[in-house]
Amino acid sequence: MIGKEKILDTLASVLKKSEADQTEAVYIGGESGLTRFANSTIHQNVFEVNSRVYFRVALGKKIGVAATNSFTKTDLKKALSNAIEIAKNQKENPNFPGLPSKEKVLKLNTYFKKTANFTPIERAQEIKKIFDQAKVHNLTAAGSFSTGETEIAVANTNGVNSYQPLTSTFINIIVMGDNSSGYADCLSRDVEEIDVELLSQIAIQKCLDSKDPKGLEPGEYDVVLEPSAVAALLEWMNYIGFGSKSFQEGTSFLSNRIGQKIMGENITIYDDGNDQSAIAFPFDFEGVPKKKVTLIENGIAKGVVYDSISAHKDKVKSTGHALTPDSADGALALNLFIEGGDSSVDKMIKSVERGLLITRFHYINGLLDTTRALLTGMTRDGTFWIENGKVKHGVKNLRFTESMLKAFSHAAQISEERKIINAWWGDVGCVVAPAMLIKNFKFTGKTEF
Amino acid sequence: MEDKIKETIDYLKKKKVDYADLRHQKTGIEDIKVKNGNVEALSRRDDQGFGVRVIADGAWGFAASSICSVAEMKRVANQAIQIAKASALTKKENARLAEAEVYNDKYASQYAIDPFEVPIDKKIGLLLDACAIMMKNPKIKVAEGSMEFFKTDKIFASTEGVFIEQSILESGAGISATAVDGSEAQRRSYPNSHRGDYASRGYEFVEEMKFLENAERIREEAVQLLSAEPLPEMETTIIISGNQMALQVHESCGHPTELDRVLGTEISLAGGSFLTMDKLNKLKYGSEKVTITADATLPGGLGSFGYDDEGVKAQRVDLVKNGLFAGYQTSRETALVLKQKSNGTMRADGWNRIPLIRMTNINLEPGEWELEDLIKDTKSGLFLDMNKSWSIDDKRLNFQFGVEAAWEIKDGKLAKIYKNAVYTGITPEFWNSCDAVCSRKHWHIWGVPNCGKGEPMQIMHVAHGTSPTRFRNVKVGVSK
Repeated sequence: MIGKEKILDTLASVLKKSEADQTEAVYIGGESGLTRFANSTIHQNVFEVNSRVYFRVALGKKIGVAATNSFTKTDLKKALSNAIEIAKNQKENPNFPGLPSKEKVLKLNTYFKKTANFTPIERAQEIKKIFDQAKVHNLTAAGSFSTGETEIAVANTNGVNSYQPLTSTFINIIVMGDNSSGYADCLSRDVEEIDVELLSQIAIQKCLDSKDPKGLEPGEYDVVLEPSAVAALLEWMNYIGFGSKSFQEGTSFLSNRIGQKIMGENITIYDDGNDQSAIAFPFDFEGVPKKKVTLIENGIAKGVVYDSISAHKDKVKSTGHALTPDSADGALALNLFIEGGDSSVDKMIKSVERGLLITRFHYINGLLDTTRALLTGMTRDGTFWIENGKVKHGVKNLRFTESMLKAFSHAAQISEERKIINAWWGDVGCVVAPAMLIKNFKFTGKTEF
Repeated sequence: MEDKIKETIDYLKKKKVDYADLRHQKTGIEDIKVKNGNVEALSRRDDQGFGVRVIADGAWGFAASSICSVAEMKRVANQAIQIAKASALTKKENARLAEAEVYNDKYASQYAIDPFEVPIDKKIGLLLDACAIMMKNPKIKVAEGSMEFFKTDKIFASTEGVFIEQSILESGAGISATAVDGSEAQRRSYPNSHRGDYASRGYEFVEEMKFLENAERIREEAVQLLSAEPLPEMETTIIISGNQMALQVHESCGHPTELDRVLGTEISLAGGSFLTMDKLNKLKYGSEKVTITADATLPGGLGSFGYDDEGVKAQRVDLVKNGLFAGYQTSRETALVLKQKSNGTMRADGWNRIPLIRMTNINLEPGEWELEDLIKDTKSGLFLDMNKSWSIDDKRLNFQFGVEAAWEIKDGKLAKIYKNAVYTGITPEFWNSCDAVCSRKHWHIWGVPNCGKGEPMQIMHVAHGTSPTRFRNVKVGVSK
């Protein structure tokens, strides 16, 4: 860990000498380890120390970006000089409002020493417990267990000077049988929150319960989606619809629909980077404090998240959702929450006459028709047939192809309990999702296992 | 750098590890994105570091750092050994590697024009000119273009005496037009979707793309799609364009023939494979028209190189031979399971990642048909062009692809256009329904710069040589 003082002082010393009209520096660096296992043995075990510093400079409205993964002053100055050279050759960006000014950032506790100091031996010892439990049932385990620390800092010549250290840990476990599998995972900033024994039991039980799965014809079924399945849908909805870029381009399912009812009244989706009950992070990669943004409220489309450039275009303020300076993807919601209801997975199962319990989805894609939020994907690692309120047996995996506007208009029950789910955007956020009972969810294909 | 690496390898030998290698990598990336007449992103990224991979106590360890001093290399080497010892806590048997030739060599990809030397305003200018053509129809709400260039210098050294230096230059570019009308949005891209086409070539590759000659066509097709009917659900004959065939090969043959995936070591992320070892040289994967190769030696392919990241020389091997499932992509460790030598497909996407089995150029070998004749030969069916969405199950059996545009084929001629078209199938059934592959004249190596695999995630550059191909009795149009 380099530390707040050294990072901000180094960035300040380089920014001070910048010849650009405005200059921004973003530091992302840290140390992380990941242990990967399969067939109940560790087969990959890695550790890295790395950092990246981005410089974004403005010459008037001409913007240049350059980055380096070296933190020596010589290399930082070279990267800054590259950014200025690029800006000189740029065209003006009429939507550039100038770099953000300093705003108050909330103090959040996102760093846990035990997570930062967790060793490969400790990870291996925890993983061995999974293997031992699986062996009792003649099953094997696969998965990964990561721990690490990151420091993120944003500084600019308008006075922004933000720093936040963080730790994160994630474990996923897939227990494998002859013709079935079961899944469990846990994401946290604090490694002490990972209960390997409990997670192993969940994955083992799912594997045992879905043994000898039976085939099922595609069609519309009522589905109980566990939080991992719900979160996977939301990840894709975020990518195609909750950010300002797709909204402004007209490809988002929210484009031209603000104020309209597009989902059921029981659906409220929001982004809140300051909620420490999840994977909080207090500012974006322009140093703008994260604001709570309601995206869907009681089924009504309310808004999207912005960075400073897209906000200027829509004549609103940035909501603190900028990505790194090299990204052209605009803003994204990285701390997504779906509001919980008053139900539970058990209650949902009891209320289903004929339907499915789904642990998670695999390989979802949502690019086919983004204005309808049409997603497709497969079930995976624990799909069960429910009949007359009881889980009867495992079923072979199915492909769904369904509009999320339709699906989230048919959410009959939502669980009170919500789970923190890992998302592809890494350790600055997550998806917090409940379980859901969705009526008439459309499956369009099946597979052989 | 050479001296530092050799000193560290000597240090590792003294530590009496079972095996070790060190890979130093330096990469420069230039990225340009324009949209609606503005430059959205223009960036230059430099990245360097090294990774040490060891087998100690019969188990694997890997550590990496961006600080490239000898002291740091030795510290990281020790760390990799300690990590290997942690891995050994759960080992069932010792990690071993198949024999491999020891090379001391240099390799450089060939190019005519260094894209990093081409003035930025010239590159931006080409994309803006294409955007201007696409924006001439007011229904086009997003006219985009992008270019991306990579220059990578790698040094690989091992305790077995291998020392290889490689320099690889890659270029990619593409344009797209998105038409929007109310809540309807449709996109056409050129020369391929998802940021275009890529190759291990220089700026001459971009100049050959002819953006300005194609911008008007994709603009009008995007607008035409707005009022097109969605493709109805049916079972029919389909001819798939070369660019979509690239993704078809990628997902349903490339990934399932990766032997590490077959052996279960990718379960934690993307899953396993239906091509289990009992099926090798037995399963009729496809019709006799189907021959699929892994060829890392193709000049200009985005999956081409001199040596993989285990120091194994680039090779061409059969994966499917006249329909028969004939081989896997292997590494030194996995090849031992087959009592073979590695066929050289281990690559990492950077210095800070361990190499995994990654596709090289995975190609559907060309057939004999002219595209025009193939369409004429099709009484009723569809011509499907350019990928829009992709999804496949975790054993690579049930797939569903969406394409940007589908044209009806009626009595041997292209007829009306459909929007939101998808096709779906089960991999071996689908490939066994292949009855025609177009000739080398229509064959192109499509670069795919975004193949994800592994944890931590690695994004690899791979490619697929394909030409338009016909399949019978395929289920289409299940998106309504």
